[in-house]
Amino acid sequence: MIKLKNVSKFYDPNVVAIDDISFHIKPGEFVSLVGQSGTGKTTLVKLLIGEERISRGEIFVGGWNITKIGQSDIPYLRRQIGVIFQDFKLLPKKTLLENVEFALQVCGKPMAKIKKIAPQVIKIVGLENKMHRYPHEVSGGEKQRTAIARSLVYQPKILLADEPTGNLDSINAKEIIDLLLKINSFGTTVVLVTHNRDIVNKLRRRVLTLHEGRLVSDQAVGKYII
Amino acid sequence: MAHFLLSLGRVIKFSFQDVLRNIWLSLITIMILILTLSSVNLLLAVRAISGAAIGTVKEKVDINLYLRTTAEHDKIMALKAQISSLSDVKEVRYVSQDEALSVFRQEHVNDPQIIEALKELDKNPLTPSLVIKPKNSDNFNDLINELNKLESPIIESRNFEDHRLMLSKINAITKRVSDTGFVVSLVFMSITLLVIYNTVRVGIYTHRNEIAIMRLVGASNRFIKGPFLVSGVIYSLISMLVVIFGFFLFLNLLQPYLETFFTGYNFNIISYFTTNFWPIFGLEFLAASVVNMLASLVAASKYSHV
Repeated sequence: MIKLKNVSKFYDPNVVAIDDISFHIKPGEFVSLVGQSGTGKTTLVKLLIGEERISRGEIFVGGWNITKIGQSDIPYLRRQIGVIFQDFKLLPKKTLLENVEFALQVCGKPMAKIKKIAPQVIKIVGLENKMHRYPHEVSGGEKQRTAIARSLVYQPKILLADEPTGNLDSINAKEIIDLLLKINSFGTTVVLVTHNRDIVNKLRRRVLTLHEGRLVSDQAVGKYII
Repeated sequence: MAHFLLSLGRVIKFSFQDVLRNIWLSLITIMILILTLSSVNLLLAVRAISGAAIGTVKEKVDINLYLRTTAEHDKIMALKAQISSLSDVKEVRYVSQDEALSVFRQEHVNDPQIIEALKELDKNPLTPSLVIKPKNSDNFNDLINELNKLESPIIESRNFEDHRLMLSKINAITKRVSDTGFVVSLVFMSITLLVIYNTVRVGIYTHRNEIAIMRLVGASNRFIKGPFLVSGVIYSLISMLVVIFGFFLFLNLLQPYLETFFTGYNFNIISYFTTNFWPIFGLEFLAASVVNMLASLVAASKYSHV
């Protein structure tokens, strides 16, 4: 599903963000990408969604070589990969439902389809009773669930979660992880980028560990080792 | 096709939202566009009025060929026929010595000194003349050249330099009016370009979160830039409508003064603009939209990668 072959990313010859990383994530896997801050985790996410270009190596997403992806193809790549971030990235002047609908609107989906899909994904993340509220009227966990709902509207094969629990308390964080596991159980490949030791250790899933831009560990049932 | 129309509909909806959300920026942009379009229309009006005025003056300009007082009538008629046959001549009229004196008296009826001086002379001091009206005042020089070539012993004088001078002065004034208007329009056009460019830049800054989210969820570049382009057309349309309304109001106020100025001539500035409504205002709208869209496209391409 995701394949990296000797991938490196330099911002200039002396600043190495990613250094010769190779790994293969199979369809339906739940993988945690861990490491301390500034170790290259977010850069890796940016490379996977085409926001940044790699300096060396090759990247395949769903069998598609995105190493030299053109600007016009990036929107299509992003419709195949759901992404959620620590800061939720919701529009404050739209309700939770409208935020989800917005993702479908900007990609030209017909209104009838939007009215059918958006409430369904809102229900999957358990926000059917709060879907008409605005982001400032709900908790951090509910905002993150809305972001997850928005990322699910295209039924992506991959869900990238970049520090999704970074702004949440432990109860909300657990709820989000449970939701990610539920999505994974439907067959979606989930890549969880985090530096939360407890979450990674409790998951008992595959763990990729980055340190100073290098992949230092790849354990099938791993723990947070750094 | 249905997908394209749906996307276009949403782009237009988002454009209207952008225009309303940034109402002050929109108003400034529209004001600048109104100034530019008004300056262009004022220039057109000035050109139309000066064109009509120059036409009127040119129509009044005729050439006098002064003849000897001793010239015999049949020789004068032969010369008149010869001049009438010239290709650039519309009409030739013979003014006798007596007729010239009568006209002169009428023109100076309120000038007792001149009338008194005439009385003191015991003979008519004026000469007979042939008054030549050209077919086309633009061919004035050709006609003068041909008249200069005429050889006849009854011609007393043929000094046409005054006419040349007057026509060149009229043409110089027309050119100056045109050039000044062109420069003013160009200045306003440049200001418009800069203001639109800045408006889009500020608009993008205001919507940077929205644009980032659009990119994140896979919106195409056309969908992200589209609303800024459509906003440009909306600004142009609103400005054009305001300018048309204001300009016709102004023309209605101007027309009575022009009627006094062009007494006896059929010139109506309102008719000029209504007859040429689409070529003038349609083209202005197209030009304003293109300028707007170009500025928006450059700004959106440069700043929308948030």
